[in-house]
Amino acid sequence: MEIRPILSTLRRHKVTATLVILEIALTCAIVCNAIFLIGQRLDHIDLPSGVAESELMQIIPVGIGKQADSHARATADLAALRQIPGVTGATMANQLPFGNQSWNSSIRLSPDQKLPSLNSTIYYGQDVVRIYGLDLIAGRNFQDDEYKWWDDTAGDDSLSPHVGIVTQALARKLFPNENPLGKTIWQGTNNIQIIGVVRTLTRPNLRDVESNGYSIIMPLRVTMGNFAGFVLRSRPQDRARVLDEAVATLRKQDPRRVFTEKRTYDEIRKKFFAGDRSMTVLLATVCAALLIVTALGIVGLGSFWVAQRRRQIGVRRALGARRIDIVRYFQTENFLLATIGIALGMVLAYGINLLLMVHYELPRLPFIYLPAGAALLWLLGQAAVLGPALRAASVPPVVATRG
Amino acid sequence: MLKMSHLAKVYRTEVVETYALRDFNINVKEGEFVAVTGPSGSGKTTFLTIAGLLETFTGGEYHLDGVEVSKLDDNARSRIRNEKIGFIFQAFNLIPDLNVFDNVEVPLRYRGMKAAERKQRIMDALERVGLASRAKHYPAELSGGQQQRVAIARALAGSPRLLLADEPTGNLDTQMARGVMELLEEIHREGATIVMVTHDPELAARAQRNVHVIDGQVVDLAEDPRFHAASHLADTAS
Ligand SMILES: Nc1ncnc2c1ncn2[C@@H]1O[C@H](COP(=O)(O)OP(=O)(O)OP(=O)(O)O)[C@@H](O)[C@H]1O
Ligand SMILES: [Mg+2]
Repeated sequence: MEIRPILSTLRRHKVTATLVILEIALTCAIVCNAIFLIGQRLDHIDLPSGVAESELMQIIPVGIGKQADSHARATADLAALRQIPGVTGATMANQLPFGNQSWNSSIRLSPDQKLPSLNSTIYYGQDVVRIYGLDLIAGRNFQDDEYKWWDDTAGDDSLSPHVGIVTQALARKLFPNENPLGKTIWQGTNNIQIIGVVRTLTRPNLRDVESNGYSIIMPLRVTMGNFAGFVLRSRPQDRARVLDEAVATLRKQDPRRVFTEKRTYDEIRKKFFAGDRSMTVLLATVCAALLIVTALGIVGLGSFWVAQRRRQIGVRRALGARRIDIVRYFQTENFLLATIGIALGMVLAYGINLLLMVHYELPRLPFIYLPAGAALLWLLGQAAVLGPALRAASVPPVVATRG
Repeated sequence: MLKMSHLAKVYRTEVVETYALRDFNINVKEGEFVAVTGPSGSGKTTFLTIAGLLETFTGGEYHLDGVEVSKLDDNARSRIRNEKIGFIFQAFNLIPDLNVFDNVEVPLRYRGMKAAERKQRIMDALERVGLASRAKHYPAELSGGQQQRVAIARALAGSPRLLLADEPTGNLDTQMARGVMELLEEIHREGATIVMVTHDPELAARAQRNVHVIDGQVVDLAEDPRFHAASHLADTAS
């Protein structure tokens, strides 16, 4: 094609050409990084919890401190909740993934180990594995006689159940390439033998990618006095009704009870990731705005050049250019501008990414974003220039003689 | 080579219809050098733009090289303009952003010619018009006469059989006009058919044949009543 003459023409319109190139470069750099950030956030938002999200609900009563009959009350509450039609599981538990309230402990491989091996969150509650819908991939679940009341064992290690179920992530971290079943881990001075492994159970609060999955489940029953909440399970379509009936049932058990939360698991997840979601929307809006402004810039410049070159287009037609040759001229010109802009944009994209890596601990921009960003801007440029190019092609050859 | 019979061209605007050409008849033979003269607004440029397939006409017939051109589509017309016709405009019409070399190259590129052949033809054409040394200059750096010679080189480079020139010397002083005219005569001697519109009687006289256009029609000066009326008046005065 006529690349060389087009380039030399552009060289004679340096300022305008440079402005478009810079606009494309900047858009390319920002959009590449923004899309990468959006991808990161979306991955984050999609982080699996490990629980049966579509079937779970949570009701959190206001904590009321120690009550003499708290165990009996909890047992009676749960028995009443299980009577509600459609309830397939009801328990009291200290926490749920993404629920924000989190109980954590340092874990060691021996009691005298100086620095802990890792920090894990600990889930308490009767029948958590079944009711949460966890995927037990090795070992066994707790037996009924292994369960104890959390406040009975507090402060006395000898009363602890000494058994626990851990996540695969935690097991792999502590015992890489070893069978974790039967191994002993230490929570302070309390020894816990691993009897089962679940595939996934994410923390209530997120930290970093690696330790988000470090969780231990202990066979300990908790009560309102331990800041525990009710967790219920039903079929998805029953949840709204079950929640209402559950609150009514609990009020009947104790009319003075006040609840701070009454929500489905979907609401828990939505609230937890609300910030990420609005950041994603913001970034996407910025991207769209930049792309639109760039496209409009290309359309504007294209139209200006068509008007400015009207006579020479007529002359080219008179000298034998077909309409398609005129369209191609503008397309090639745009392709060249876009290519230079994209090349600059890639360098800039890596620069911005480096800054983000240093200041916000973001990972390196994967290579695939560069060709993807380039393709996007090439397409955008070609789409934007098509209108002006077609208008150019409709300039009649007679313009050469009549001006 | 170029034959128009009963050709008509009407320009329609919202208010008026202008008959730029009516019952226009002309027959230019291969190898002829024809000068077209006539008063301003008589239709000379209209004739040339239709002859060069820059515009369509509203009635009659036009055969170029034996082909009835009204049946051709836009691409075919572009192709004929590119291969058979060379244009020389009063306003030179060089592309200001391209240097002399690139300007002459424009029609050759649309012919899809290989780079080596293009270069050869461009340099030959520039040699012909005596501007080979100015290949890297831009139009704005040349005099009017030089620009018109570049335009002639551009028209020549594709070796067209028909050269159409609309007042090629209209924007030039006598000296430069004479140079351009000599160039056209030389090109004609080498076999090209040339149709040139001009206001200059001296240049018109140097052509093989003169065609006079009045009110959109070709007139034979010897038989035109208007001409006779004028000479009759002259007779009685003497
Ligand atoms: N696009 C157009 N629309 C309407 N009328 C037109 C158009 N182009 C030309 N005309 C009219 O057609 C007639 C012939 O114009 P043309 O340009 O052919 O004359 P000309 O002989 O070349 O004149 P000049 O010697 O001044 O160049 C004129 O009356 C002109 O006004
Ligand atoms: Mg004219």
